[in-house]
Amino acid sequence: MDRRSMLNKVFTPHRYSQGAAKFTNALLRTQDNKEVRFYDDLIKGKQCVINLMYAQCHGACPLVTTVMKRTYRDLKDRMGKDLFFYSISVKPEDDSPAALKHYAEMRNADLPGWYFLTGNAYDIETIRFRLFNMGHIGVDTDFAMHSGTFRIVNDATNYWGHAGAFASQQHILQRISWADPYKTPAEWDVYAQKLQASINRDVKKYGYRREF
Amino acid sequence: MVANTGAGEWPRADHQRWNQFTPAQVTTELEARPGLHKFHSNYGDTYIWGFNGVYPGPMILNRYGKSTIVRFRNSTPPAGDNTFGHPEITIHLHNGHHGSESDGFAGDFFPSGRWKDNLYPNCYAGLDTFGGNGDPHEKMGTFWYHDHRAEKTLNNNVMGLNGMFIVYDETDPGHEHPSNGSLRLPGYYGVTDIPLILTEKRFCATSGGRTEMVNAAGGDKWIVNGAIQPTMTVRRRKYRFRILSTGPTTAQWDLRLFGPTGTIDTMTVIATDANFLEHPVPVDAGANAGNSNSIVGTTIQVAGAVRVNVAERYDVIIDFTNYNAGDKVYLTDARIMSVNNVGTAPNTPPPGFLTNIDIGNVILRFDVVEREAWFPVDTPPIPETLCTFPAICEPDTTFTWNFTRDPAGSNPRFFRINNRVFDANLPQHCVLKGTCEEWLINNNTPNADGPTNWAHPVHIHFEEFRILKRFAIIGGVFQEVPVTPLSRGRKDVTKVEPGEAALIRMNFRDYIGKYLIHCHNMGHEDAFMMVAWHIVPDAAAKAQCDSLIVQGRKEFEAKLRNEEVS
Repeated sequence: MDRRSMLNKVFTPHRYSQGAAKFTNALLRTQDNKEVRFYDDLIKGKQCVINLMYAQCHGACPLVTTVMKRTYRDLKDRMGKDLFFYSISVKPEDDSPAALKHYAEMRNADLPGWYFLTGNAYDIETIRFRLFNMGHIGVDTDFAMHSGTFRIVNDATNYWGHAGAFASQQHILQRISWADPYKTPAEWDVYAQKLQASINRDVKKYGYRREF
Repeated sequence: MVANTGAGEWPRADHQRWNQFTPAQVTTELEARPGLHKFHSNYGDTYIWGFNGVYPGPMILNRYGKSTIVRFRNSTPPAGDNTFGHPEITIHLHNGHHGSESDGFAGDFFPSGRWKDNLYPNCYAGLDTFGGNGDPHEKMGTFWYHDHRAEKTLNNNVMGLNGMFIVYDETDPGHEHPSNGSLRLPGYYGVTDIPLILTEKRFCATSGGRTEMVNAAGGDKWIVNGAIQPTMTVRRRKYRFRILSTGPTTAQWDLRLFGPTGTIDTMTVIATDANFLEHPVPVDAGANAGNSNSIVGTTIQVAGAVRVNVAERYDVIIDFTNYNAGDKVYLTDARIMSVNNVGTAPNTPPPGFLTNIDIGNVILRFDVVEREAWFPVDTPPIPETLCTFPAICEPDTTFTWNFTRDPAGSNPRFFRINNRVFDANLPQHCVLKGTCEEWLINNNTPNADGPTNWAHPVHIHFEEFRILKRFAIIGGVFQEVPVTPLSRGRKDVTKVEPGEAALIRMNFRDYIGKYLIHCHNMGHEDAFMMVAWHIVPDAAAKAQCDSLIVQGRKEFEAKLRNEEVS
């Protein structure tokens, strides 16, 4: 075994994802009426940002879609390649693929790598609970609790994070970056050097570390 | 001291006041890593994450005037391990007076395989004004350290990443000999000075004979120092118990002491949140029932109880000379946990058990025996005066923190502070170093969802505060209510029930940087009920900090107007 493949073996983390057992492999439909399996086609080995919405929502959903559009613009080079957005309808009985297509088109959000998904109500409630539950019954039984939140998942590294859509854009991008593919120690070194340089800049300018 | 990134230390700002507090003490290393722990003799091993692989984490004993570095290593499994723990950590010493770089700021976490040095100066607050090691009136005792990773605090604390940290000084020297200034309280750690680290957990049996924890905010088993409903043999003398609730969520412990015949007996509280009270406060169901802090508005909920909310510490003294050898004494909560029942059937009491409580109420049983000759003799009576509080500061400015949960039916439905959710980059308030501020901790706001509003144990990092006034809704009217005797001391956590508010004063001395105010219900905290505030060194930095708030508010408002932010 050569040195590189040995190092890769050492530093490539084992995958601990529980796969379809955790995410479900529910049959969903995209805004283009394409059938997809939730785990196999959308999650497996991918990094993604997931939110819950419904087309007739007049509360947070359109605002969150706008935030995602802004985020999409920042991460355009990665979208549809190693990063995906999933907006899942929590009122699937009302939201046909056509209704979601309309919602996306109206907001210029019908973009490559961004799927609006609908399906069986039971499956979607299961997905909502599996993805967004915080082990807190008052929070988890309330579907509106999660409508302003992104779930950020990288199945390849089994990283799970989340972010509030109304936090600063810098904060949201940072949180998505925390789910980036696993870093080797050498890559962490580079990351750490950059971070230390930015801390030092902060301290010089403001007297203390202001950002992270 | 500069971060030693070349050797694997995670980046941070230089330690503030390093030259003043170059550690005289040997560095302590605490490595967060997996371990196996037995919670009960009937259970298989349970997979935990603990500091140095144990739960609770190692007890750290320090002394004022001797600064220390604690090196936190993160050796949790880097890609997770199918538990609910998250392999990135940042450790907060609750409630140390130290630089922001050592404070375990929620956004400053570091990955597996790295380490970080936190400098704990073990100084009293007031270094700049009092010189030396600060103002001794600011003495604290019972600290605890725990993971503070943004959005994963509950998970990592349930996994086991917390422990206790005691700092002694001459009034409270860690022994019982007569010595200069010593209060001579029960003081041999592990012998007559016992930590009681309370939590609740839920378990399930799994393959391989293991008994695993369930990722649940609430539990159905009492856990004390990592054991389910343990017993402790106590000698007929006084003991000091350092009670800490590690939550993890909303439940409060209404601790009562049941004597062998079912009477509710006296526990004497000497310290609240690590700070001595000026005078000891006895609590029981008789003459001292009015001292209970198990109170909403002005109504005592559990007579004779010391209420311990998440992250609060109460140091109590129990005098076992009031009992006879052979007596069994019970420390209980008002809630009933599952002990030996099946399904929804009630618990079966053991033979001879008290008739006025359930065995599921019992957190811990004391078995009283005579003091053997080898055991330390009893300490003198508890002194009438334990300390003198520092004067309450005169505020330079006032500020209000509104704790809200969006009303039912709103979308989204967040826990918020001042209308905002957690953002590691944005402060919501800027404080000039060396000033004093008066803050209203408000859980009674116009947009709150009325009677279904939630209770929040609010924690403020950095310095201890004093509660000046409390407010509650009584008979539909928001009005001032008395501050309970147990809330008149120095505190760092205060619970505001639905419709309640607390007016506090606090100093911001000696250090600068990012600090936090948050609900310590770890479920709420992870659901973003946490915001940052900054201590800034001078007026110019304050102007820059304030402009950051304005910029953040503009972006937030643009998002609410459904505009794409630039």
